[in-house]
Amino acid sequence: MKAEYMVRRILYSFVAFMISITLTFALLHLMPGDYLHSILPYLAEKNPMASQLFQEQFGLNKPIAEQYFLYVGNVLQGNWGYSFQYGLPVLTVISEKLRWTLVILFPSTIISILIGMTVGAYSGWRNGSKTDVSVLNFMVFVGAVPSYWWAILLILIFGFYLNLFPLGGYVSIDALEDGVSIPDVLYHAILPTIALAVSSIPGTYYLMRNSMLQTLGEDYILTARSKGLSEMEILRHHALKNSMLPMVTVIALELAHMIMGSVFIETIFSWPGLGLLTFDALRVRDLPLLQGVFLIDTLMIILANIVADLSYPLIDPRVVVGESV
Amino acid sequence: MSRRLAFNIGLVILGAYIFTALLSPLVIPYSPSGLEGRPLDCPSESHLLGTNDMGQDIFSRLVYGTRATLIIGLLGALLSVSVSTVVGMVSSYYGGLIDEFITRSVDVLMTVPGFPLLLVLTMFFTPSIFVISGLMGILGGTQGIRIIRSQILSLVEANFVYGAKAMGAGDRYIMARYILPNVLSLVTVKFVFAAQRYMLMGVGLGFLGLGDPSVVDWGQMINRAYYNGGFALGLWWWLAPPGLAVTLLSIALALLGYGLEGEINPRLNRSVPR
Repeated sequence: MKAEYMVRRILYSFVAFMISITLTFALLHLMPGDYLHSILPYLAEKNPMASQLFQEQFGLNKPIAEQYFLYVGNVLQGNWGYSFQYGLPVLTVISEKLRWTLVILFPSTIISILIGMTVGAYSGWRNGSKTDVSVLNFMVFVGAVPSYWWAILLILIFGFYLNLFPLGGYVSIDALEDGVSIPDVLYHAILPTIALAVSSIPGTYYLMRNSMLQTLGEDYILTARSKGLSEMEILRHHALKNSMLPMVTVIALELAHMIMGSVFIETIFSWPGLGLLTFDALRVRDLPLLQGVFLIDTLMIILANIVADLSYPLIDPRVVVGESV
Repeated sequence: MSRRLAFNIGLVILGAYIFTALLSPLVIPYSPSGLEGRPLDCPSESHLLGTNDMGQDIFSRLVYGTRATLIIGLLGALLSVSVSTVVGMVSSYYGGLIDEFITRSVDVLMTVPGFPLLLVLTMFFTPSIFVISGLMGILGGTQGIRIIRSQILSLVEANFVYGAKAMGAGDRYIMARYILPNVLSLVTVKFVFAAQRYMLMGVGLGFLGLGDPSVVDWGQMINRAYYNGGFALGLWWWLAPPGLAVTLLSIALALLGYGLEGEINPRLNRSVPR
């Protein structure tokens, strides 16, 4: 049962990835005025050899079906084309930028999980109380403010008016002489990290609160209560642990989705990660780079799904993967 | 704040926005895209919120921009909710192979990241607000199919559906008259939250420079203020109004959805007995 489920899961992921590849192929090759035809004549004039190589590698002189298979083969082998803007293989550019995104993504995910789950658990436990209602209202407010507006507000207040943090970028101008220092980079990372965390806390909070409410309705909580356990003991040993279980799946997916949410925040803070790369690729219409970003996002979501699926039965032994699916 | 109060506040604010959008041509003192004064003027009596770097009146642009922003949000939400309702309904009503096919397709499509795909697609098509909301609606529609389907699954087995069938009612008649009304409240909540999401996304696209260049919208206003000096010079009356307008509208929709949620699911209001 389990093996069959895993096989099906991987098959779906593979199909999803193939759909993404097909979409990018269609966009790159079939659209009128595509990038290959607009850049190749120019290349042929400057360097006929390079143009020849390019044509052969991507099979541009072959029928469209053959081009498609060549493209799929290329993508699967990690050959994702060349970025116009950087003049480098797309995968090289992306893997360099991905590191920068992770610098702000990891701390902000951890902050979001810690705050969101603690406050959410408390809110759910004290369900219906004054504290719960006011926290819930506050979170509805925080979640409704768009992430780009949080980012601009943070820069305006802490960067522009209070002058506590830099307005953007990842190192100060001194780096030209002294080289890039880690404390300096971390100092620049503080505001974007906060912005990213603030925009994802409400989501974690809602889910944790809901999960807590669900758990409190379970029979074993009633049993614990009728045994005469103290409220604290019920919370610690019965309610909290069980309500934290579904969060595992959520966190894995949230991490993947936050990479996209970082487009706005990295753009506003000029943080040189995947999000700013996406923005730049859009601005100068760097199609190969854009398709690369799209494919890497698909891969991340697929990976997050699989990790969540595999880790769940490890944490919760009641769940047998593949049952009742 | 109770859910009832949240609902009322949300409704009033949303109503004010819709009213502003409808009446905007009568309210604005200047043409929203014409050059109406000196560039970068401070707020004054003749220009309530000053002028931008091109000498356009910021107040007029702000009021007029309500239209594009509302259209993107509401149209996108309408499309996505219709797609998920119709597909979800067909899937669970007919069951069998159709259901199998749709559920499997949704499983696969959920893995394709929507937002990056939206970015790539808007770049290819001429970015008119209708194309943008259409793309958002269709791409986002797949997300809701599962929820609607699982809601309808129990309705299909209900006695009144069997009764209608026994009386010889057609499939389409049953779906429209007996099944749809039962999920309408859920669909309404979905619609409100979708409108909020797509409105923010539409403004976000404008901010990223992917908006419809032929209309005035808040995203492009923020983009202009942010990159053409409003931010660097600290001209808050240029940067803040569109941002605050979006934020307030988003809060109004969130409150509306939050209030409606309590309406359809009374269990949310009940506190757990202890």
